[in-house]
Amino acid sequence: MGDILIHIETRNGKPQPVAQELLGAARSLAAAVGGEVEALVIGADAKALAPALRAADRVLGVAHPGLEQYVPEAHAAVLSSVVRDRNPALTLLAYSSVGLDLAPNLAIRTGRPLIAYCTKMAVADGLLEATSLIYGGKLHATSRAPLPVVAAVVPGAYPEAKAPADRVPEIVTLAPPAALSEVRSVFAGETLPPAGAIDLTQAQKILCVGRGIGDKDSIAVAREVAGALGAEIAGSRPVIDNGWLPKERQVGKSGIKVAPMLYLAVGVSGAPEHLEGMSGAELIIAVNSDAAAPIFAVAHYGATCDLFDLLPALGKRLAERQNT
Amino acid sequence: MLANTVILWVLFLGAVGLSGWRFRRLLRPLCGAAPVRRFDRPGERIRGVLRAVGLHERLLKVPYSGLLHALIFSGFVILLSAIVQAFGSGLFPGFTLRPIGGDTWIALLQDVFAVAIVVGLAMAAWQRYVRKPARFRGSNVFDASVIYVLILTVVVSMLLEAACRIRTGGGMTAWRPVSDSIAALLGVAGLSRSGAQIGTQIMYWTHICGVLGFLIYIPGSKHRHMFLAAPNIYFRSLAPKGMLPRRAPEQVFGGAVAGGGLTWKDMLDGFACTECGRCQAVCPAHAAGLPLSPKLLITGLRDHVIASSRHEVERPLADGAIAAATLWACTTCRACMEACPVHIEHIPKIVDMRRYLVEQGKLEPMLQEALSSLQRAGNSMGKPERMRARWTKDLPFKIKDARADPVDILWFVGDFASYDPRVQRITRKVAKLLEAAGVDFGILYDAEQNSGNDVRRVGEEGLFDMLARHNIDVLAACSFRRIMTTDPHSLNALGQEYRMFGAEYEVLHYSALLLELIESGRLRIHPRSGGIATYHDPCYLGRYNGGFDAPRRLIERAGYRLHEMGRCRENSFCCGAGGGRIWSDDSGVTERPSENRIREALALGDVRYFVVACPKDNVMYTAAVQSLGVENRIEVRDLADLVEPAPATLEPHRAPSRSPASPLAERSERSPSV
Amino acid sequence: MRIGAILRLIPDPGGELEIAEDGKDLDREWIDLKLNEFDDHALEEALLLKESSGATLTAIAIAGDGVDRMLQTALARGADGTLKIANVSGAALSSRAAAPLFAAAVRHLGCDIVLTGVQTSAEIHGQLAPFLGALLGWPHASAVNGISIDSGAIVARQEFGGGVAAALRIALPVVIGVQTASQPIRYISGTKLRQAMGEKIETIEVEPAAAEEPVELLRLSVPENSSSAVMLTGDATEIADRLIALMAERGLMKA
Repeated sequence: MGDILIHIETRNGKPQPVAQELLGAARSLAAAVGGEVEALVIGADAKALAPALRAADRVLGVAHPGLEQYVPEAHAAVLSSVVRDRNPALTLLAYSSVGLDLAPNLAIRTGRPLIAYCTKMAVADGLLEATSLIYGGKLHATSRAPLPVVAAVVPGAYPEAKAPADRVPEIVTLAPPAALSEVRSVFAGETLPPAGAIDLTQAQKILCVGRGIGDKDSIAVAREVAGALGAEIAGSRPVIDNGWLPKERQVGKSGIKVAPMLYLAVGVSGAPEHLEGMSGAELIIAVNSDAAAPIFAVAHYGATCDLFDLLPALGKRLAERQNT
Repeated sequence: MLANTVILWVLFLGAVGLSGWRFRRLLRPLCGAAPVRRFDRPGERIRGVLRAVGLHERLLKVPYSGLLHALIFSGFVILLSAIVQAFGSGLFPGFTLRPIGGDTWIALLQDVFAVAIVVGLAMAAWQRYVRKPARFRGSNVFDASVIYVLILTVVVSMLLEAACRIRTGGGMTAWRPVSDSIAALLGVAGLSRSGAQIGTQIMYWTHICGVLGFLIYIPGSKHRHMFLAAPNIYFRSLAPKGMLPRRAPEQVFGGAVAGGGLTWKDMLDGFACTECGRCQAVCPAHAAGLPLSPKLLITGLRDHVIASSRHEVERPLADGAIAAATLWACTTCRACMEACPVHIEHIPKIVDMRRYLVEQGKLEPMLQEALSSLQRAGNSMGKPERMRARWTKDLPFKIKDARADPVDILWFVGDFASYDPRVQRITRKVAKLLEAAGVDFGILYDAEQNSGNDVRRVGEEGLFDMLARHNIDVLAACSFRRIMTTDPHSLNALGQEYRMFGAEYEVLHYSALLLELIESGRLRIHPRSGGIATYHDPCYLGRYNGGFDAPRRLIERAGYRLHEMGRCRENSFCCGAGGGRIWSDDSGVTERPSENRIREALALGDVRYFVVACPKDNVMYTAAVQSLGVENRIEVRDLADLVEPAPATLEPHRAPSRSPASPLAERSERSPSV
Repeated sequence: MRIGAILRLIPDPGGELEIAEDGKDLDREWIDLKLNEFDDHALEEALLLKESSGATLTAIAIAGDGVDRMLQTALARGADGTLKIANVSGAALSSRAAAPLFAAAVRHLGCDIVLTGVQTSAEIHGQLAPFLGALLGWPHASAVNGISIDSGAIVARQEFGGGVAAALRIALPVVIGVQTASQPIRYISGTKLRQAMGEKIETIEVEPAAAEEPVELLRLSVPENSSSAVMLTGDATEIADRLIALMAERGLMKA
């Protein structure tokens, strides 16, 4: 029996989107864990964030000028102090750069086991059993640890929490721990990406077109579908060679290696050099009229329908969804 | 008359002195250059010079240019007599060639060959100024023009002098038909006898000045090849083609020239270059649009040597005077060295400069990755060492482990044949053929590492040493009679390069082994009913190691008709993968050599099968056919694909009901697209 | 100033992944071990720091198959020395279990800066750098793409994805989990490697011994539908619907 504590990562005073997924995960586990769901906000205004975090039962806030920007040492000190005080049975973090900093550190400082890269969690009989992604997501690992435990969740694994709009969580302000004064790390400035630059390795969703797309004009159709999906458009080598897309959008051995959550390969045959650039993708869907195309060996799902039928159909369906 | 003699002596000595001084200044760097042993086997060396110069062996490969050069060259040889005559009689009054026929057959030859030279010059001028072949791009047109003018001056003045002499009444006209005709024309033009006398003098001095001017001009001109070509050919390398020279680490050059890097032969190569551009014309990297012209590389080297001897050098040779991209573009196919009429050695220089870049750590990322993978796991593909023999997993029989058991044939499989899925199919086929023929063969499993051939050519001498020594140690512990490989690059390394470590093996290409098996009846094949095939000679099997015939006989034995491409045998056009290029980024390529080659095959009109005998060729041409979208017009087939074992010999352990179907079973293994 | 670079060998499936009989590990028959890619970057960054500041650099690793060669390569690349820690238990250690050994090595050497890779592909029970930070009581930062030294402190560039990054100024001593080095990793020629291959690598024992890993790994499994593609049938619209449903299931349908 115990509570679930969620670490909410914030940027510019707002919670990261993944926070809603963590809340969703916590809500689904709350009954098994047998307690309440608390959301911890470090360095941002808990009161202002409470409506966004209303799926939690309680929002904890620790405010201090030294916490407004993310500094690993400071935030880790606060987190471990809060966890020691509140003693949750399950502490949840998202496995981002911040989560990667904080979760292992927290685990040792509070003597708790840690299971990371979780996509599925279940609690029973005082144990957490979780499935994690391992070896670039090519395999799943199932682990088990006794509560109290720390778990770090992969973004995109859980659905967002749905809470009624009028729900108001309790707001608790916690005092910053004394250890903060001994922190010897300091935030020294931020850089933001230049406008317009494209870094495919950062894209979570990629729609890649291959030689099957045929010509430059047909790329426009693919671009629309990519936009509707929220995906970046990329090309295999023949597409770039033909000048239909610029070099920074080439996926493959002599282009860029990507491992997005979604890789939709359309008209790509799947030469080894191309597979090298994308076989680490989480969900690979391939569309190619040739049923023997090698891409199907690495794809999770495939279809042999004509891409010139599928792309417009996909575009239409996505547009319809958008409007509902 | 005495005044004339004195003037001539002054001019002569002055010109010879000036020319000599210029030659000395040019060739002085050779004195301080690194040594190289090229004084052995004089008989063979001389024979080579005679073949090259006397028979115009390589020059005639481009017939038009070969002919015009033969005309001019033979003209020069004959007209040497005219120069001897002119100077001899001027410097030593009373000297004449009359006793040995100076006015008879020599005169006739002079006249005829003067015309020959003029014809040759006309042909040359037409080619250079009208036709403008691509290989001349980057060559010095001004230099060429000056030479044409000088030669024309010398020859025409000689003819006019003889013609004028005839007009003055002296000179045997019967033996000088050309000069005689000109004399007649001069007469018609109204040249008087006194005018002709003056004309003789003018033309004589023009001739003298032309010759001396030419002499002074030569050291700074590509026409130095007149004097330097024969020595350059004489001092050529007589080492086997597939062996790169070994250099001590301090001899690796690329930085300052004077630092003991370039050998005197390297420098001589630079000076002997005639800028003919034949190397450029056959270079696959150049054809692909990469920044490599073998010609410009050599002239760049030459200019660097000259500038450096005058202490005018500011930047290093490699990645300075010669761009790194230029050096990395080379596939080491050796077409340039085969084509060069003066036997310049381009590839060892490129490799040496690459060695310099490697020691500096200046490598592009993809190449670096390949080399790191080789360092780590003995293969260039980033695959685990342990997976090397995984291609054997699905074979219906177990291949002998040559490390444990003695074998007759030790099969050195090679990187691509082991790891690349497109080639593994062929490797398995070859295994089945060998098994069907009852060959006692084995492989080294994961003790085998990349033979290092292309590692050496990339300039990573240290890594090559590691790989070679490893393989040699492994082989030393094995018992075998011969080594067989499907990979020409491994063939070259094992058969040629490893000798420097004292390891001598009898290595044969699988085409030779398969032919041997078929001709001895140990492998019975089922010839197909025809189909027209063309065969691509792999660089390291053909040009480097002389293996042209076995694959061709094999193709015919398998029942196919051979239709040769124009660039076949020694003139084969490289697929573009050698020399480390397959490990390099090919941005900047305007047309891949492999696509160029497929187009050449398609242009034959009736060819259905493009036959390859090398794993890299297989990969490159399969990709080329795909990216050109011509899969329905031409198919890439390996030699192993063509050889269809007769059903009775295939898998004798199989149940009899299977046998008629086996040819079809083989075919379904082929994946139609990659 | 002393820098320590912690290097680990991890299984390199080279694209092939098969699970061993007991279901708890990879089938290692066809698998090599190779230096963790991020540790490679950490070493390169450590070398760059050493070159710019004159610090001494020691490459640190736990004894095992192939570790000697890995440490010799580090020497060839320019490390001043190596430290190989005996693995008394002999078993494969998770990062959490190995952390006390590394912490002891770091204290033994008197390091001011400790660099290691931000993660390995098998660290499902937590990453080494933050573990070390906790054990040593030092500040730490992960996903760092560039470090510079500035009088008794470092400035580290921490990346958050989407091109957003922050600079942190951290007083020494510090542990960093490196993502990429400031420059591409430089190639080390075969000649230099061969020279280093003659170096003998000593092993030392440290106290305390390894810790217990509190999480139990139950099994490895292959995700459904990843051995070959599940082929969807129907007309274009039906397939489009199915694809959208697939993506929605995975939470990929948000913009």
